Amino acid sequence: MPNSMGAVKQAIPAEIGGEADAVMGSSGAAAQAVAGRKILPIVEGVVLVAALLVPLVLQDYLTVFATRVIILALFALSFDLVWGYAGIMSFGQALFFGSAGYGVALLARDLDITNIFLVLPAGTLIGLTFALLLGGFLLLGRHPSSVIFVSLGTLTGSYAADRLARGWYYLGGQNGIPSIAPMTLSGYEFSEGPPFYYLVLGILVVVYLLCRFLVRSQFGLALAGLRENEQRIAFFGYKVQHLKAIIFAIGGAVAGLAGSLYAFHEGFVWPNMVGVVVSTQVVLYVLFGGSGTLIGAVIGAVIVEGVSFWLSDNYRDIWPIILGLLLLLVILFRPLGLISFVLGERERVGSFGAKAKQKVKEKRNAAP
Amino acid sequence: MANAFVAAFEILSFGAIIVLIVLGLGIIASMMGIFNFAQGEFVLLGAYITYLAYAKGMPIWTGMVAAPFVVGALGFVLEALIIRRFYAAPIVAMLGTYALGLIIRESVRGLIGGFYLTVPEPIGGSIDLGAMHISAWRFTIIVITLLVMAGCYLLLSRTSFGLRMRATLENPSLARASGISTPLMYGATFAFGSALAGLAGALIVPVFSLYADLGLRFLIQGFVAVMVGGVGSFIGPVAGAGVIGTLSAALPWVMAPVVADVLVFVLAIVFIKFRPQGLIAGKGV
Repeated sequence: MPNSMGAVKQAIPAEIGGEADAVMGSSGAAAQAVAGRKILPIVEGVVLVAALLVPLVLQDYLTVFATRVIILALFALSFDLVWGYAGIMSFGQALFFGSAGYGVALLARDLDITNIFLVLPAGTLIGLTFALLLGGFLLLGRHPSSVIFVSLGTLTGSYAADRLARGWYYLGGQNGIPSIAPMTLSGYEFSEGPPFYYLVLGILVVVYLLCRFLVRSQFGLALAGLRENEQRIAFFGYKVQHLKAIIFAIGGAVAGLAGSLYAFHEGFVWPNMVGVVVSTQVVLYVLFGGSGTLIGAVIGAVIVEGVSFWLSDNYRDIWPIILGLLLLLVILFRPLGLISFVLGERERVGSFGAKAKQKVKEKRNAAP
Repeated sequence: MANAFVAAFEILSFGAIIVLIVLGLGIIASMMGIFNFAQGEFVLLGAYITYLAYAKGMPIWTGMVAAPFVVGALGFVLEALIIRRFYAAPIVAMLGTYALGLIIRESVRGLIGGFYLTVPEPIGGSIDLGAMHISAWRFTIIVITLLVMAGCYLLLSRTSFGLRMRATLENPSLARASGISTPLMYGATFAFGSALAGLAGALIVPVFSLYADLGLRFLIQGFVAVMVGGVGSFIGPVAGAGVIGTLSAALPWVMAPVVADVLVFVLAIVFIKFRPQGLIAGKGV
């Protein structure tokens, strides 16, 4: 079996899809590849339709909650890019989320800037800048950094930011910045409710599609290789550290966008938002849903937040314990998350590049 | 003069507390390559057991003696059931131990509620040195820390148990071939590290009082200390803990506490970046 796979790989040199096929062959998912056509688009479609219908069937206060979940899903997406696709454990993703939140809150408080076309790019930029600085420092350099150093470095950064926000009077100290003015679009104020929901959903869909394009591109292929075997990718001549820094910065930008939306939606920011609590929360979403699939991050955020919302009325005290147990079970027995119940390994890895799909099809036709 | 002495004592005693907490973390990180996110919760458990003994009307020191044994036993069980599966993957180990820590922390939170519970010092009062008074219990912590450090060092460097432990760390397959039961050694190491955390929690609870996030507070400081000191030896993390503990306690005396708080972490990360092997590189005890 390994020999035949090797032959296939040699027969179609420079084919991008072939690489993924060879990887798949080893996990023996051949049957699935033939029988199971694309499940991923179906899952994505179902989630999208459900998300579109939510405000129509839910009461208003639940729509507000659903908006928050969508924002957190966007945040989860940023972590999934970094961990699920590039294998960088960022325990400090909230640093970018929260600093963007604080940034736009300060813009609104001190400069009265609430125009949506100014604050959202500003938040994204803040997230990007912080991620570039932290990621650049942690990842780049003459000696490649160990995974442990990067994960503990991001964790420490987030913790230090939390402490700073708590102690800095200008940022409101323990209480954070309350009552942020709502986001505006030429006179229209985005307050909580269905319009805000659809705005956030629209942004999520756009970002999702951009991410989807990114991870299925050549760049995404290099990232996947990086995650699976960093040394080999380095031997191929890729600048591994640069790739990591780039995806880390992109993740930071997405987290910044989510953070600025979150600040305006909730109407306040507080130190927890940059701290370890929120950082680990996003890790939970992605692990639950399934890292390495974009939709998994979204589903994870929806499930974790939804169930905790549902349980917190009656079981507020034991819910975190259940969450911990479930997380442990997922890590031990379902490392690819809940999405792996419906999604085969082959589809998770997928194919890369614009022409990959077409070439795979051609090969399938030629095979018999 | 008196002020400077009090400051020095404060710094020393906080440094000792950090060393005590990092000892267990450092042993597990160095000997097993696992950064145990549940270590803070082991500290919390030690503190909780001490509180339980106090609440049940028993002498406080019985709780302090029991804490390391109970937490160590729990560590042994957890290692056999769960931690064992994580050895190949350090990041997964972080996540798994984080989940464990979450379970323990939230269970304790459920048991004590959101309160800050105080436990009196078993050795109260103060030691008078002329015009200066220093807390007797903090002084006791310093003494116990020194004893525990010396004990650990001797255990690792002078006993056959320590030798087998280091052999397992250095070269597991050779150790197995020499007839050392490496799974048992890993279990014992993890239990030992957990027991040290339990002891730390029991000793510090009179100083910091008991609350559910007690362990979390020290966890990140502990990680940073281990990294600064250097993973791979016993001495490294201890030295790192001394540096981090001293810095965190000393800097607030010369600058605004907020700045000092953040500065310690920034300095530590910058240091690790440019000296990844830590203060004390190389293997050994």
